[in-house]
Amino acid sequence: MHNNHSNVRRVAAGIVVVSGLTISAAFAESPGYAGSETCKTCHEEIYNNLQKTPHFAIETGARPAWKQKSCESCHGPGAKHAESASADDIRNPGKLSAAEVDHTCLTCHLNQNTKGGRIASGHAKDQVGCTTCHSIHGANGAKLVEHAKAAINKTCSTCHLSQWASFNRPYKHRLPEGAMSCVDCHNPHASFADASMQKAFGNEPGCLQCHSDKRGPFVFEHAPVRLEGCTACHEPHGSANPRMLVRHEVRLVCLECHSNLPNPGLQNAKLGGVPPAFHNLLLPQFQNCTACHIKVHGSYVDRTLLR
Amino acid sequence: MRLLATLLLAIPLVAQDAPKPADASAQASPTQTAPAAAPASDTPSPDNWLQGSIELGYRWIPNIDGSLDTYRSVVDLGQGPKMLDADFTLLNPSKILFDRASVRATSWGGDPYNTLRVDIEKQDWYRLTADYRNIAYFNFLPSYADPTLATGSLLDQNAFDTRIRTLDIQLDLLPNKWITPYLGYGRNTQFGSGISVFTTDQNDYPVASIFSDQTSNYRGGVRIELGRFHFNVEQGGTTYKEDQGASDNVTNPGNFTGAFFGEQLPLSALDELYRVRGDSVYTKVLAAGNPCSWLNITGEYVYSRPSTDIDYTETSAGNFFLNRILQFYSLGQDMLTGDAAMPHSFGNITVEIRPAKRVRIVEHWDTDRYSNATSALLAENFLVAGMPLTDQQLSSDRLVLHENDEEVDVYYDLTSHLTLRGGYRFTWGDTEVRGPILAEEALEPGTLRRHVGIAGFNYRMTQKFRVTASAEGSPSDQTFFRTSLQQYEKARIRASYDILTNLRLAGDFSLLNNSNPDPSIKLDFKSRVESASLFWTPNAAKWANLLADYSRSAISSSILYLVPQTLSPTPSLYTENAHALTSLLGVKWFSVGGTMFISSGSRPTRYYQPVARFSLPLNKHIQWNTEWRWYSMKEAFYSFENFQSNQLTTSLRFTR
Repeated sequence: MHNNHSNVRRVAAGIVVVSGLTISAAFAESPGYAGSETCKTCHEEIYNNLQKTPHFAIETGARPAWKQKSCESCHGPGAKHAESASADDIRNPGKLSAAEVDHTCLTCHLNQNTKGGRIASGHAKDQVGCTTCHSIHGANGAKLVEHAKAAINKTCSTCHLSQWASFNRPYKHRLPEGAMSCVDCHNPHASFADASMQKAFGNEPGCLQCHSDKRGPFVFEHAPVRLEGCTACHEPHGSANPRMLVRHEVRLVCLECHSNLPNPGLQNAKLGGVPPAFHNLLLPQFQNCTACHIKVHGSYVDRTLLR
Repeated sequence: MRLLATLLLAIPLVAQDAPKPADASAQASPTQTAPAAAPASDTPSPDNWLQGSIELGYRWIPNIDGSLDTYRSVVDLGQGPKMLDADFTLLNPSKILFDRASVRATSWGGDPYNTLRVDIEKQDWYRLTADYRNIAYFNFLPSYADPTLATGSLLDQNAFDTRIRTLDIQLDLLPNKWITPYLGYGRNTQFGSGISVFTTDQNDYPVASIFSDQTSNYRGGVRIELGRFHFNVEQGGTTYKEDQGASDNVTNPGNFTGAFFGEQLPLSALDELYRVRGDSVYTKVLAAGNPCSWLNITGEYVYSRPSTDIDYTETSAGNFFLNRILQFYSLGQDMLTGDAAMPHSFGNITVEIRPAKRVRIVEHWDTDRYSNATSALLAENFLVAGMPLTDQQLSSDRLVLHENDEEVDVYYDLTSHLTLRGGYRFTWGDTEVRGPILAEEALEPGTLRRHVGIAGFNYRMTQKFRVTASAEGSPSDQTFFRTSLQQYEKARIRASYDILTNLRLAGDFSLLNNSNPDPSIKLDFKSRVESASLFWTPNAAKWANLLADYSRSAISSSILYLVPQTLSPTPSLYTENAHALTSLLGVKWFSVGGTMFISSGSRPTRYYQPVARFSLPLNKHIQWNTEWRWYSMKEAFYSFENFQSNQLTTSLRFTR
C-alpha cells in the first residue's frame, strides 16, 4: 500500500514537472507560426543582422521550442502576417508599451540574477522598456549588449543628461575617460538599492566592489557610512569639491551632523548631533577634521576614528 | 598583468595559424546541412574570421603649468607611447575550444586607467568573461586637509599615491540551457604610499604611510529555468587582508609648533602597523515566476556574515603629553587585538498583478537587517619620567539596523500613449549606534518613519516624442540624521523629441527640496538641475555632425551648527551655481569642441577641456588620428591649485 502511494506521488510529480517543461513548447507548437525562413523572405536585412547577435542562438536550438522560429519568439505567430503582409497582423514590440515589451523579453530573461527585480526597478517605473537600450536586431551595427565602456556610457547619457553633465566637473569617477561605465555602479535592469545601485559581495553597497578597504566590519563604525551610504558625504558622479565631497570644506561636511547643538525632542532625535569634542575651530589645526580623524570611514582601533 | 594583456591581444595572431583544411570544411559543410543551422557568424570565411581594430600612438605633453600635484589629482595623463584602444572579435574557424572570442582594451602604456575585457564563448557549452582594470589613484590637494596652509606650507596631510586593481572572472557553463551552473572569482587590491597623520593628545604629525589591501571574492551558483519559474542560487565568500603602516624616523615638530607648558612636542620616531584579516560567506537565493498570465512574482534573500580580526601595534618616541594623567611621556607603545562580526540579512518580495488590461499593481517589500558586534583589547605602555606606566582598556561597540520598505504602485494606461502612476511608500526602521563620547549612554537609538506619496506619468505621442515625469514627497519627522531626507519634495521630468530622423532634442529637469524646521536644525536644502541636449547627424554623419549638451545646476543649503568657541548657532551655508557644456562639431575629417564647467558660490571653479581632432583615413584599413586637448583648472579661493596643460596625441588606427 505504501509503495502504491509512493508510486502515485512519483507519477504525479513527474506529470507536474513534464507539464511545466512543455508549457512553452506547446505554446510554440500551436498553429499560426510561419518559421524564420518565411520571415527572411521579406525581412532579409533584419534576419542577417540578427545572425550577428546572441539572439540567433534561439534559431539554432538554444530554446528547443523556438528552433527555427526565432523571429516569432518575440513577434508572435506570423503566418497570418506572412499571408496578408499587413503590419496589423503581427506584434511589433517597437510599438508596444514598455510593460508589454518587458513581458515579452522577461519570458526568457527573468531568471538571470541581474534582472530578477526588473518589475520593481526604476526603469520599469519610468516605463523604459528593454528595447530602449538594447538593439534586438543589431541594426546599423548596434550591438544587442554593449560591453565597451564608452558605448555603455553613451547609451545611458542619452537620457540621463544631468548625471552625465556632472562628469564635466574636476573631481569625479573616470567615466568620460573610459575607465569606468555607468553599469559598474548601477544595475539598469533591477536593483532594490536606491538609485539602482549594484550590490557587492552578496548584499553590500556596490561602491565596495572597488573600495573594499571601506567595507569592514570595523570595530568602531562611523554610523552614516552604514546607515546613509557613501552619498551622505560624497557626490559620486562629480563635484567641484575635492574627494567629491558635498561641501567645499571638510569641516562643514562633519559639522552639519556633529553640530554641537542640542538634540530635538525624543521622537525626532538625530544621531551624532551631540559634539564629539570641543575643538577651537578658529585654529587651522582643527579646521580640517580628517587631518586627525583619518579613519573617517570606520576604525579598527579607535572609537574617535583617529587611527 | 601587462604580460597577460599582451598574450590576450596576441590570441588573434595565434589563431591566424588555424589550419586551412578546417576552414575549408567549415565552408563546405553549410551547403550540406539545413540552412537555418548555418548562420554567417558560425561559418567565418577567411576574410571575416578576425574583425576589429587597434590604435597605437604617442602623446606629447609640452607643458604643465601651475600645480603639478593638482594636475595629477585631476588629470594625471602622461607622455609617451600608448596603446589607446583595441577591440577584436575572433570567430574560430575550427570551433575547437571556442567559437568566438572578443578582446577589448583601452589606455595601455602608462596611462592612469587601463582596462581589459575578454569574452570567450562556445555556444551551448560555456561563456567566459574577464574584466580587469588598473586605476591610478593620486590625490594631493592642500586645500583638502592642510592645517599648516595659513603658514604658506602646502602639504596635504591626507594624500594618496595608490593603484586600485580589480579583476572579475565568470565562467557560465551550459549557457542558454535550463540549468546553468557558474563560477566566479573577483579580486580588488589597493596599494601604494601616502601621507597620513599620527595623533597624540596635544599634537598631530604628518607621517609617511603605506597602504596595501586585498579582497578576493569566490562564488559559484546555478541558474535554473523551469518554464514559468526561474531560480538562482549562489554561494560565495570573500577573504580580506590589509597591511597598513606609518613610520617616521626624523624629528617631526607636528602641526602644533608652539610650546605646551613650556615644552616642545616633537615626534622623533614612529612605527605603526595594522594587520587586518577578514572573511565572509554569503548565500543568495533568487526566485522569479509568472505562474499565470496576470501575475509576476520575484523574491530574493541574501545572507552574509563578514568578520574581521585585527592586530595593531604602534611604537612612538618623542615628547608627548597624556591628558588623562596630565604628564609628559617620551615613549609610547600600543598593542590592540580586536574582532568584529556583522551578520547581514536582506530579503525582498515583489508582486505584479494585472487585474485588467489597462491596470498594473506592483507591490514591493524589502527588509535589511544587520548588527555589528565588536570587541577590542588595547594594551598601552608609556615611559613617564623614566618610569613605566601600563594600562589596559577593553572596549566593545555595536551598530544595529533594521530597515524596511513597503511600496505599492498602480499603473493605469489611460490611453495607448499615456500611462499614469500613483503610489505610496512607507519606510520604517530603527537603529542603535555608538553614543557620543561625552554622553552617559553607551548606545544611541534612532528611528526612521517616512511616508512617501508618489505620482508620475509617461506619455508617448509617437515613437519620436516621449515624456516621463515622476514626483514624490514626504512630511516625515523621524529620520536618523540632521541632513537626512525629512520633509522633502522630489520631481523629475525627462523628454526627448526626434525632430527629424537625424536630429534629436532631449531635456531633463530635476528638483529636490528638503527641510527640517526644528529650531535646533533649520535645514533648508534646495537643488535644481536643467539639462538640454542636441544631437544632429545629417546624412548619417557622413559629412558633418553636431553634439551639444548643456546643463545648469543650482544648489543651496543652510543648516545650523554651534561654533564651540563662541557658543553661537551659525548657519552652515553652501551654494553652487554651475554651468556645464559639452559640444563637438564634426566636419568631414575635423572636429572641434570640448567640455567646460564653470561654477560660482562656495568654491568657484573653472575647468576647461577644449579639444580639436583630425581623423584622416589613409587607406581602407588605416586611419591617422591626431588630437589636441587643453586642460585648465582655476579655483578662485585656492589659486595655488590652478594648473593648465597642452597635450597632443597622434595615433594610427589599424582596422581589419
